[in-house]
Order: sequence, then structure tokens, then C-alpha cells
Amino acid sequence: MPASPPLNSPPAAPAEPPGRVEATHLLVRAGEYVCALPLGAVRQVLRSLPLHPLPGSAPELRGLAEFAGDPLPVLDLARLARAPQGANPTFPVTVVAWAGPPGARELVGLAADAALDVAYLPPAGIVPAAPGAAGTNPDGGLVAGDAWVGGQVVRVMNLEQLGQGS
Amino acid sequence: MSEGFLVLRRGGATWAVARPAVQGLARRGAGFEVQLAAGVLSADEVLGVTADLRWLPAGGVLRRFWPEAAHGLGLHDALPVVLIDPLAPPRSLLAVPGAPRKGDPEHGD
Repeated sequence: MPASPPLNSPPAAPAEPPGRVEATHLLVRAGEYVCALPLGAVRQVLRSLPLHPLPGSAPELRGLAEFAGDPLPVLDLARLARAPQGANPTFPVTVVAWAGPPGARELVGLAADAALDVAYLPPAGIVPAAPGAAGTNPDGGLVAGDAWVGGQVVRVMNLEQLGQGS
Repeated sequence: MSEGFLVLRRGGATWAVARPAVQGLARRGAGFEVQLAAGVLSADEVLGVTADLRWLPAGGVLRRFWPEAAHGLGLHDALPVVLIDPLAPPRSLLAVPGAPRKGDPEHGD
């Protein structure tokens, strides 16, 4: 028997002007890496949300949480970035961000160690992620590439790829 | 109009199933068994029946990182709830036939 239709719809995602490339990023520590998230996709940075693990989920999915009256899947940003876990992976911060392709965006939580700074990363300064064997992207496209910011390498994430198959 | 949802706990998570899909509910040891057409679910606790579960369709992120079918996600008393597909319930919810449960006399606890 099909379930009744949802009583509400997801909150509308902010519209992205066509062709615009997001250059301003939020820098977030995740494990031993610093990751860059497109600032326009970031909705809120919170202290870590109480999590409810989902049995059988992939290790990237830390669990479900409640955010603003809606359920929210929370992902391990360090795992998404293929970063080694830090010395103290307590995930004290949750970044709530829009993920998925335009037209099918959804809110996700990204469990991280700290929100650090905001930085301008021009697209020309991002070295694209190297393809894996047979030309495939080993990260499923989640890692857009690496950039050099303030004397350190920053892993630039592509949140549009999050809601798509790996 | 919704006919309500049975809300239960299993494996530290909260689950909901549309009430018309529930064919039976029985106590088994310290837990419960929920009979659906597709099989028997094992529950640690039954939280109750709710008439108005607000839920959102399962998004691409959940589908990518959780290899089970689900109608969507909702909230029940501020707890995130997975609204299961009664025709394809998650494997972690399915009762193992003949397996003793905590509280059963043969379980030994």
C-alpha cells in the first residue's frame, strides 16, 4: 500500500544564477584536512546536533538529526573528503548545507571539527581532482579539487554531487 | 486522508509504517513483532500510533548512503523517523525466524 503523500514540502533552496561559479567558500576542518564548502550552499553552522544512527547505512552517514522541525541526514565530512580522521574526531560542529543538483537540492548536515574562515577561491586556483582508474572519479565527484589557501592545501568539495549516485 | 502510522524503535532508530499495512502486532519476549505482508518486523519498543506524521520524501543523500527502500523521513516527538516501505522493509528490521529475543525464556537472560 503506498503511503499517503507528504504533508509538507522541503524548504525551497536558494536559486543559483545560471552559469555562476561560487568562489567564496567556508573553510572547515574535517579530520586532518581543511575542506572548502561553497558559501552560498551553507545555511547554518551549529554545535553538533544529537544524532540517531541508521542501521545498515554507509559509514559516511553518521545518522539522522532534527533541524528546524525537519529530519536531517548528517554526513561525516572527513569521510566524504577521504581525509584521515583527526586525533579527536568528536565532530563538535554541524554545517547545515544545501546539497544535490540544481532543482533537486536538499538540506544535509556535515559533521566536522571546526568552522575556520571564509576564503575566496577563484575557479582557476582549484586543481581538479585526479581521475582514478579507467577515468572514474574515486570520490564520486564529491571532491572538486584542491586549492592553496594561506599556506595550506584545502580540499574543495562539490556538494552538488552529494545527492547523486556514486 | 492518512490513516495513521505505527511508530516503533529498533536498533537505536525510530521507524514508522502506515497503519493499514500492519496485519498484526504481537509481543515477543521483551519486544514486539509487527506482521506486514512482506514479512515480520522486530521492534524493541512500540512508541504508539500517530495520526499526523509530517514527512518528506527520501532524498538523494539518503538513497546514496543507505541501501534500503524508504518512503521518506519524518519527525515524531522531535525524533527523526524513517517511514518504511511496507512492501520492502529494511533488512535490519526484519525478524529472524526462530531467533530468541531478549526476554524470551530460552534467551537465557
